[in-house]
Amino acid sequence: MERKKSPWHFFSSGYLILVLAFIYLPILYVMVFSFNDSKSMISFAGFSTRWYEEMFENREMLESIWYTVLVALIATGVSTVVGTVAAIGLSKARPLVRSIALEVNNLPVLNPDIVTAISLMLLFLSVKVQRSIVTLTLAHITFCIPYVILSVMPKLRQLDDNVAEAALDLGANPWQALLKVIIPQIYPAILSGALIAFSMSFDDFVISFFTAGVDVQNISMYVYSMKRFNPSVNALSTLIVVAVTLILVLANLIPALKERKNKKEEF
Amino acid sequence: MKSFVRMSYPYLVWIALFIVAPMFMILLYALTRSGNGTITFKFTLENFSRFFSDPTFLRVLWTSLRIAFLTTVFCILIGYPAALFIANLPEKRQTLMTLLLTLPMWINMLLKTYAWRGILMNFDLESEIKVFIGMVYDFLPYMILQIHTAIAKLDRNLLVASYDLGANKWKTFLKVTLPLSVPGIISGITLVFLPAVSSFVIPKLLGGGNYVLIGNLIETYFLVAGDWNFGSAISLIMALIIILSMYLTRKMDRSTEEA
Amino acid sequence: MRKLIEFRNIVKSFDGQVVLKGVNLNIYGNEFVTLLGPSGCGKTTLLRILGGFLEQDEGTVIFDGQCIDKLPPYKREINTVFQRYALFPHLNVFENIAFGLRIKKMGNDIIAQKVNRMLSLVNLTGYEKRNVTKLSGGQQQRVAIARALVNEPNVLLLDEPLGALDLKLRKEMQRELKRIQQEVGITFIFVTHDQEEALTMSDKIVVMNAGEIEQIGTPLEIYNEPANAYVARFIGESNILDGVMLEDYKVRFDDKNFECVDFGFRTGEPVDVLIRPEDLAVVKPRDGVLRGEVKNVVFKGVHYELMVETKTGTKKTVQMHVVTQHDLVNPQAGEKISANDFYVDLDDLVNKDLTDQDFISIANAQAWDEEDRDRSLTKVTHNIEKKPGMYTITFGTEKGTEVTVNVHVVHPEYVEDARHNIGISALDFFITPDEIRESMAISTDLKTWASAEAWNLQDDSPVEITDVRFDFDPANVTEGTYDITFATQGRVYKVETTSRLEVGDRVGLAFDPEDIHVMHKEVTDV
Repeated sequence: MERKKSPWHFFSSGYLILVLAFIYLPILYVMVFSFNDSKSMISFAGFSTRWYEEMFENREMLESIWYTVLVALIATGVSTVVGTVAAIGLSKARPLVRSIALEVNNLPVLNPDIVTAISLMLLFLSVKVQRSIVTLTLAHITFCIPYVILSVMPKLRQLDDNVAEAALDLGANPWQALLKVIIPQIYPAILSGALIAFSMSFDDFVISFFTAGVDVQNISMYVYSMKRFNPSVNALSTLIVVAVTLILVLANLIPALKERKNKKEEF
Repeated sequence: MKSFVRMSYPYLVWIALFIVAPMFMILLYALTRSGNGTITFKFTLENFSRFFSDPTFLRVLWTSLRIAFLTTVFCILIGYPAALFIANLPEKRQTLMTLLLTLPMWINMLLKTYAWRGILMNFDLESEIKVFIGMVYDFLPYMILQIHTAIAKLDRNLLVASYDLGANKWKTFLKVTLPLSVPGIISGITLVFLPAVSSFVIPKLLGGGNYVLIGNLIETYFLVAGDWNFGSAISLIMALIIILSMYLTRKMDRSTEEA
Repeated sequence: MRKLIEFRNIVKSFDGQVVLKGVNLNIYGNEFVTLLGPSGCGKTTLLRILGGFLEQDEGTVIFDGQCIDKLPPYKREINTVFQRYALFPHLNVFENIAFGLRIKKMGNDIIAQKVNRMLSLVNLTGYEKRNVTKLSGGQQQRVAIARALVNEPNVLLLDEPLGALDLKLRKEMQRELKRIQQEVGITFIFVTHDQEEALTMSDKIVVMNAGEIEQIGTPLEIYNEPANAYVARFIGESNILDGVMLEDYKVRFDDKNFECVDFGFRTGEPVDVLIRPEDLAVVKPRDGVLRGEVKNVVFKGVHYELMVETKTGTKKTVQMHVVTQHDLVNPQAGEKISANDFYVDLDDLVNKDLTDQDFISIANAQAWDEEDRDRSLTKVTHNIEKKPGMYTITFGTEKGTEVTVNVHVVHPEYVEDARHNIGISALDFFITPDEIRESMAISTDLKTWASAEAWNLQDDSPVEITDVRFDFDPANVTEGTYDITFATQGRVYKVETTSRLEVGDRVGLAFDPEDIHVMHKEVTDV
């Protein structure tokens, strides 16, 4: 179909540009003001990297980054393994068991974060466990697993049922079948599940806030509890934006590049 | 295959321990009086009657529902045209647009809200407006992506068929595209209304201390007042309202499908 | 021969539905055994129980003298070729075949040696590095076979392995599989629903139906001496007739007595009589033991397949009145209208509560405006009473354009045929030449216009009217009255012959006593 540059076309492009501008406004705003020479968030007083330097001298902030990354890594690792194995198990379970388990699995996704948060807090309090980095990590694992399962399950459904059986038939025990046959076929879904889990854990505020206790705080909690405005947060945000952009671009590019490589090999 | 099914057992234990049991804890605390020991429980409904008899609490509930509703409506109003326009773009640009919309979703919500706090400091606005802007900002991409998915899934032949049967573009939109994109709107509503009702970070950061939503109420009773029973009751009330509203939206969805 | 596998009273049900009803079966070494049956007969379930992928509810599987009920699949010396091959898409051809050997941690050089031998066995040498997902169906099939055989199992299970291949490739793979089986000299258990495949490949066929074994035998036994009508119908083309055994070597069917070679039945026992189409010879009518009319001829390449009717079905003749009806014009409204006289069955009038819409469609009433757009008929008035006679009915539009036609209410006239247990009814009807000319499926339309119906007298179930006879040319029909005959299927024999015949030819059918095979009636499940 011929696409004419009609007034309608200009209107729709203009509209989309406005929407994008709205969505990127705060992101660009912090990126710009992270290089501001003054503490002001209103006027730009000149280029400087002082807030980046200050960030690296701010113990509390660095600690929160460290905890965030540490918890996110552990939670991602555990939830990816547990979630993947569970999804494979459930995919072979009786339909009733599977559907009940998946309903429960969906609870943390559908429930408001605050409900999940207080429920876990009540659990820890009632069994008299001191809230700490351990409870924080347990909580993160709990809300990360569902995302891994939701990401892996559809891919498992597409898998030929007989493929796992073929592995057993050829002498592999169930764990060997899992490692040598099933996982190699679904690893893209596992990776994307892990990526989602990592980002969920990295960004979480509400659940961490209720389950971490007083000694530990992640980035979100640090920002939330800041008494006065601190432009170093702009610097931190900028770094995170850059990192996220890089990861997403890579995640989108790698499959495309691989495809191209495969095609080349065939000829 | 039993040997595979066994692999899900650790996970089943995990969800029993960390999802099902905690949910029961909320129920238990909401239905009991504070100060109960480990052995004896005194079941009561007084936490609920306390909530519904105090106009302050009801006002907070009303404010939460109102702002969540307004946020949802505005997300649809702004998001629907955006989703429609994206769906009409050539394929490569559609992918780019969805990527551009997805990217901010991966960035810490606290940091984005913090940035809005900086921006909104430049303007003299009422707290409610600031909170409203923050919420629409936070949830808009979800709405656009949901609706876009629904529209992009539409079989192009349906539109061609509609033109073939004599409908013009506007009629086709009203009679074909719009009704068939309703499921997208519904799932968009789920993704916006639900977290908006329970939100407590945005009101706290953008609204200042005097703008209280039900989420803030729960936080206060848990972390400041230490009254877990009443806090549990509030969150149970909130959860029930959310379930009810989801049920109503789903039902609406079904009735539009039938019509 | 060595007894290799023994199924003892295997019972299996899924969600309360019994799929295997106590199956007993022995399989010997170096046999090509085919489990044959329609989908849902339990053949795949039996195979999966043997493979270890399903657990039976009752019964025991003995393998090489050992009970293997509790043995998981990876400990059984059995390998499987799956329905859609189930190749590992992330491994290439070599690694797919090497999979089982790598699990057993064999040395690389031994693996390479064994895989290469397999590749040459299945004619895939040189394909080692290929991506399995890019292979053709036949090649994937070969990889699947090699992948299973490389483990040197005692038994190879093949679950409908040729189902996904096209006809030519399937034939080729049938020969190939047979060759491989003879070369490696192990037992193949092959599951299929294709009787031809079973006949060409097997040493032994196990015919299954509804969770039970109907017959076990060599292809020749199964074909020539099927145990019952089910097996006969499933294997090959067949004519199966109701008969009565008069005494040893004498059977009665089609109202005649025939000599046969079967014996050992009770006197007067109702039996099923099988005559294969290729055993029926077409002769001159006076030379035939049976006489009939050719109803259908299909060219099958080498031969023709005829349907010869020896007894006509139940029939009913009605009159078709072809009349030209002029459209009525209403100049004020700018509309035209037309309708036909029609007959109505009194029974339908009483029992069916006919609506105005029904009358409109029976009368084929229609109205249209100057631009040929349909106008709806909103007014229907009539004086029809629920007793035989002639009445009138008037159809009209909103704008007052009207047409009145006659309605004949008549007593229903069935033809009841007690011998076939079939009733048939049809009504005379009025029709315009235009409608006949415009008809795209004249036989179907004639049935509709005449309200022709046939049914089973015992249970009222509908019976198909297979024959509509008339002697006018639909393209050039003129006004007048024509006879139309509707008939159900009579006694029909399927016959294979090389002589060329036309539909309508009278022929005789001849056969020898040994061409008749008498079987016990199937015991119907209660």
